[in-house]
Amino acid sequence: MIALLAVGAVTLGTLGLGTWGVRFVRTTSDLLVASRAVTPWWNAAAISGEYLSAASFLGIAGLEMQVGASALWQSLGFTAGYLALLLFVAAPLRRYGSYTIPDFAEARLHSPAIRLLAAAIVLVIGGFYLVPQLKGAGLALNVVIGSPYWVGVAVVAVIVAINVSIGGMRGITYVQAFQFWLKLFAIAVPICLLLIHFGGLPERSALFGEQFPHAGASPITIRLSSPQLVEFPQAGSFTVAGGAFVHVSAGKSVTLPANVAVRIPAGGIVPVAQGTQALRGSRWSRPIGGTGEGAPLLVYSLLIATFLGTMGLPHVLVRFYTNPDGHAARRTTVRVLGLLSLFYLFPSLYGAMGRALTPQLYTTGQTDDVVLTLPHAAWPGTAGTILTAVTCAGAFAAFLSTSSGLLVSIAGTLSHDVWPKVRHSVPSGVATRRRHFRTAAAGAMVIPALIALVARQVDISILVGWAFAIAASTFCPLFLLGIWWTGLTARGAACGMVVGTLIATSAIFVGLALGEPTSGALALLQQPAIVSVPVAFLTMITVSLTDRHRIPDVDAQMVALHAPEGLGLRLADEVDTSLGASERA
Amino acid sequence: MGRLQRAQFGLSMLALVAFGAVFGVLPAALYLLPHFDRVDLFGIPLSLWILVVPMPPIFLAIGWLYARRADALDDSFRDLVDR
Repeated sequence: MIALLAVGAVTLGTLGLGTWGVRFVRTTSDLLVASRAVTPWWNAAAISGEYLSAASFLGIAGLEMQVGASALWQSLGFTAGYLALLLFVAAPLRRYGSYTIPDFAEARLHSPAIRLLAAAIVLVIGGFYLVPQLKGAGLALNVVIGSPYWVGVAVVAVIVAINVSIGGMRGITYVQAFQFWLKLFAIAVPICLLLIHFGGLPERSALFGEQFPHAGASPITIRLSSPQLVEFPQAGSFTVAGGAFVHVSAGKSVTLPANVAVRIPAGGIVPVAQGTQALRGSRWSRPIGGTGEGAPLLVYSLLIATFLGTMGLPHVLVRFYTNPDGHAARRTTVRVLGLLSLFYLFPSLYGAMGRALTPQLYTTGQTDDVVLTLPHAAWPGTAGTILTAVTCAGAFAAFLSTSSGLLVSIAGTLSHDVWPKVRHSVPSGVATRRRHFRTAAAGAMVIPALIALVARQVDISILVGWAFAIAASTFCPLFLLGIWWTGLTARGAACGMVVGTLIATSAIFVGLALGEPTSGALALLQQPAIVSVPVAFLTMITVSLTDRHRIPDVDAQMVALHAPEGLGLRLADEVDTSLGASERA
Repeated sequence: MGRLQRAQFGLSMLALVAFGAVFGVLPAALYLLPHFDRVDLFGIPLSLWILVVPMPPIFLAIGWLYARRADALDDSFRDLVDR
């Protein structure tokens, strides 16, 4: 009940503040002029707020329960991505003054076709990134009010679609900055209080994986919503509805019935749902090694995807234009690195404690729930209930802010880039454009919602890894070569992006079809970046070198990208960019 | 102008190499030296300490130093043009 109230308050607060904030900005001054007063600290909090999604809030801890210490690479990669953005992209892109990735692609390469291609890739990345947000929403609402999985997916999809359609939460810096502090509070405070409550990490041996997940000093009761095939990693036993003990020997599988109390005796081994893993020993506590998630090849592939993919996330990049100049863009990014480093200290603690205190999640297979269920399970009573309400509220803040940002990018791309090309006419009038934006926002939510319903068993962090893999193998080479290399041509960029998308998406779908193999080279189907990124770069470079259609004004382009402000050297001067912004907003 | 761009690129690559030397080789190092996993510090394997504690500050330090140097390069270019 408290959790429901907290979630409701966060949802209404976010939506209300966003809608009110839009009015406020419109009545005072132009969006861009207002944002010139935004300091790097506010901007950095806003970028972090938009960036921290279900994958960061729920996914890392959930993954860690299953695969152990190798999940830590993910949080490091999510942070390090901003270093790549800082080193190669932040300042030049801000100076160039295009507002979206398709804008940049067309202006830099003088090709309307490449705008359309970039727009299509924005849709793919945005769609892939929306799926895990909706999955998180389905899980979270289940924890809060016990509703079926699809209800949460549908509710958040509808709320976000309506919210974006009526114009709430549109790139309002202060709302997103507030969201960051809310999420940081919601993840940091409960775990710190739990650590104080226990006087340190409890059950150390279980935490670092010396034993398989097992029940604590008291029995565990599990109530499944559907029958579940589970495997006992070690010999164990259970009872159904208070009946006699059923003994299962090591490595054997049984199907647990739904809607009755299944009881694991105190200290008994916890069975593990099909598709979930329970590791122990060094396989759990070693960050790298062996097969599966810790395989060196897969670790490097994930690091490449997150390091290079962050710069290609459409909802993040848009935020960089609220920086007044390239210098401020750099300073903002350094602050983002600091804020994210702070946030990512906490999720892994939930995973480690969850292994000891909420082992029933291995049986239900929903380890992504751990951040939401841990406080209550670890600290029964009012304190735990309040802390669970806090983490649930933080999780909803994460879904709402990230999926709103994504949907704005998707709907903007559909109505601004795709629609005029399909109809061969630029829609005239603000009202028409607004209507297109609304239709696009509503329509763009349908496919990700359907995928989220199908992909229930796929871990959130794997779903997000796909979005990063596609971004790293398309927009990363486009930016790096487009910003730093004069030889890039439109055809080269197009070929590279198409090849990158094809390799990454086909690997992902083949992996899904094969049921996510985790051994050997096939594991790369789960995270193909280590293959797709180099191939995309090579394709872009070789095709550009053989292409005779060079970009005619490439020197002026480089000046626009790299010349410091205030020298009168630049193509896109300040007046032009602010006009473009008000038109888009 | 070309010189500024090359200088900025050189600086970015230098920062990238520094990052790669610390973080890029870390997975390989931990993989090849399993010794770090067996040593415990306050009950937590040393390899986890190495991952969690020093890495984010190192990212931050590289980013901060890079941003300072990059702004300094821009400023010296400004002086050159203004003169």
